[in-house]
Amino acid sequence: MRTDKLWARVFLAAAAVLLLLFFSNDFGLIDIRETAIVVALGIDEAEEGEGYDVTAQIAVPANAGPGSAANVTAKGVRTVSEGIAELNQETGWYPTLVHCRLILLGEALTERNVFDVLGYFLRNEAVEDSCQVAVCAGTARETFGAGSPVNDISASAIIKVLSSEAQKTGLVSVTILKDFAVGYYSVSESGALPYITVKEEAESQGGSAAQAAALPSLVRNKRWRPVREPLPLAAPASAEGGESQGGKSGESKGGGAVFQASETMLFYRGKKAAILTPEETLAYNLAATDTDFAYGNVTAAQDGKEAVCSLQMKIGKKRRSLSFENGMPVFTFTIRAKARVADTDKAAPILNIAKTQIAEESVLRAAEQKFKEELASAAEKAARSGCDLFGIKQRLYRFRHKDYEAFRENILSAAELRYDIRFSGLK
Amino acid sequence: MEKLKVRQICFYFMAMMPVAKLLVYPAALAFRAKNCLLFSSLLNSLLEGAVVALVMLLAKKTGKPLFVLLEQRAGKLWAKIAYGAFALYFFASALLPLLEQKNFVLQVLYENASTLLSFAPFFLLSFYACTKGASSMGRIADVALPVFALSFPVLILLALPHADFAALLPLSAVPAREIAKGSLFSANWYTDGAFLLFWLGHFEYEKGAAGKVLGAYAAGTFAVLLFLAVFYAVFADIALRQQNAVAQIAKYTTSFTSLGRVDYLFLFALALVMIFRMCIPVQMCVHCLRRTVGCKPLLPSAAVNLLLLALTVFFNYSFLEVQTLFTQKLWSVFALFAYLLPAAAALLALRRRRSP
Repeated sequence: MRTDKLWARVFLAAAAVLLLLFFSNDFGLIDIRETAIVVALGIDEAEEGEGYDVTAQIAVPANAGPGSAANVTAKGVRTVSEGIAELNQETGWYPTLVHCRLILLGEALTERNVFDVLGYFLRNEAVEDSCQVAVCAGTARETFGAGSPVNDISASAIIKVLSSEAQKTGLVSVTILKDFAVGYYSVSESGALPYITVKEEAESQGGSAAQAAALPSLVRNKRWRPVREPLPLAAPASAEGGESQGGKSGESKGGGAVFQASETMLFYRGKKAAILTPEETLAYNLAATDTDFAYGNVTAAQDGKEAVCSLQMKIGKKRRSLSFENGMPVFTFTIRAKARVADTDKAAPILNIAKTQIAEESVLRAAEQKFKEELASAAEKAARSGCDLFGIKQRLYRFRHKDYEAFRENILSAAELRYDIRFSGLK
Repeated sequence: MEKLKVRQICFYFMAMMPVAKLLVYPAALAFRAKNCLLFSSLLNSLLEGAVVALVMLLAKKTGKPLFVLLEQRAGKLWAKIAYGAFALYFFASALLPLLEQKNFVLQVLYENASTLLSFAPFFLLSFYACTKGASSMGRIADVALPVFALSFPVLILLALPHADFAALLPLSAVPAREIAKGSLFSANWYTDGAFLLFWLGHFEYEKGAAGKVLGAYAAGTFAVLLFLAVFYAVFADIALRQQNAVAQIAKYTTSFTSLGRVDYLFLFALALVMIFRMCIPVQMCVHCLRRTVGCKPLLPSAAVNLLLLALTVFFNYSFLEVQTLFTQKLWSVFALFAYLLPAAAALLALRRRRSP
């Protein structure tokens, strides 16, 4: 009995000590004001010399209303890790990368193996491998500097463009780091990333692209310019953003740039292989990714006249299969889709408008033809560049392993592509 | 050790045996056996399943604790030596899972820089569990089953949309030698047959108990194989870099984007089962020590837990070294204690019993 009492006291004392430790912040919690919340990382070839320029887009929380972002660039670093360390060392902030949702690669970087830099994110658990990866035209630093009317933080605007909803409608080929790495380390050694371009044409109230470009962007000492510029502390940056963009009145902030990601860059062995046009991207998405609902235009004869029809397409079945005929590989796309006319560029009788669910045969055949052409074009680009975009080589490895050695080098060019594509309308 | 119920042993195999294999084990297996990791795991399970079957047969025939059986056959000294050796084995088999679990808790459940202190309360729990007998293991198993039955299927279901099971093909790509290596080098994750050996005599054999326990073992094995299949289907060729596998497979489900990582709810629940599972080898170690030294549980419980705490601090940044040592250097020792010695002990006891 006495022993029980003693142990009860010991446990109570231990619990008290642990609670004391917890509430005295000795469990390693980090003060949010001391933390740089990196929402996106951009990596470019170094402007000067060898190495990379690593740009971190840092969210600056505001007391009320939307926050803003500051871009900090570490120039001429030899590894991404060095860039992150420099960010920490020279700003005194603790960069948590757990909120990093986007890794943006400058276009010049794709001339070499992009896994030279992406390897850091695979080694390091600090960044979730569910974060999105994209390539941008020009440099990532400039892209982050573009102001968008969609969101004050350019990375957030880009992430909106790369949403899973965009993927489902086939407009964008969204890729997360994990999937890109799986492709690279597979027998295919291939992958595809959305290609971001900035269009400086949108207009927004209370802001401009020039103003947005003036968002606090820091580069420091010999690598980061300008020298000894004040640190991007939360309060001044927030005040600056609010002041320059009229945040108080609730007007739309941001500049006049919109981000587009309808093109897709193909990779083979980590290097840029080709770029798919928006139409080819759509065809690729409809044939090989999670996209099952999409819009597309076809030109077809309607009531004896040529008309452009906007179609809503719902993919019912998509299948890719590899078989062998007479010892040669045959790769077949099987696609079944339903289509309805969403709009045309010609006035139509009221009856046609009323029965818009029912697409004419000529429209359906035109849709099939266009889909086939775009798919063939995408497949040809991929085959020419060595990119196993549709997983032909991977299927050879997995399902026809005994033929793998014979065809591993030339399967993309040797395989005959067949298209079994059928569109139907509602009856 | 107090009494266990057959039901609780079944629950242990169904719910607590699989959770020990959901963190580093899948990646370790993928390192050797690649897409054929299921074969490696199945091989281990068959070996351990055979041990479980033999021990249940022994339970049916004798119903006596192992210590008594050894004492009767080889004398008290040898019984004590055997228990001492198994105490060491259980201690070693507790260390790697402990470091695994520590890394899991600190890396997955804490977003920012965390310290070992966050994990330290485990040793209080373990100490408390060690001072209790087998009945605490039974109660833990009773609690673990519903928690596991709810959270494990949800995590699997969340992972399924991102699983491409074709990644498990081709079956002939990995040489049999590598599959066998994968199996042998992961022997340290298979300690459950040895646990059952030491539960001998602490549960009453009832009619059909062997079938129930083997059925439960098969169910637990199926859960492990299912997890491994889903894991490899999600990560394919990069599976070997995925430590904390259970925390990784379900995070790609985008239908819950607006809610955030809902899988964490189920991860927390599984973490609870894992914590209790981790206490078992420590409890078994203390049990063996007690029988060897012949003392009350308080002292060995304190000593073992303090030593484990010290080693956890010492190896705080050396998980990979410990893993390499245990899997690639000491695999034969683990295989000996996990498969051969329990099987030999059971066979010996059975043979002697048959002879006049």
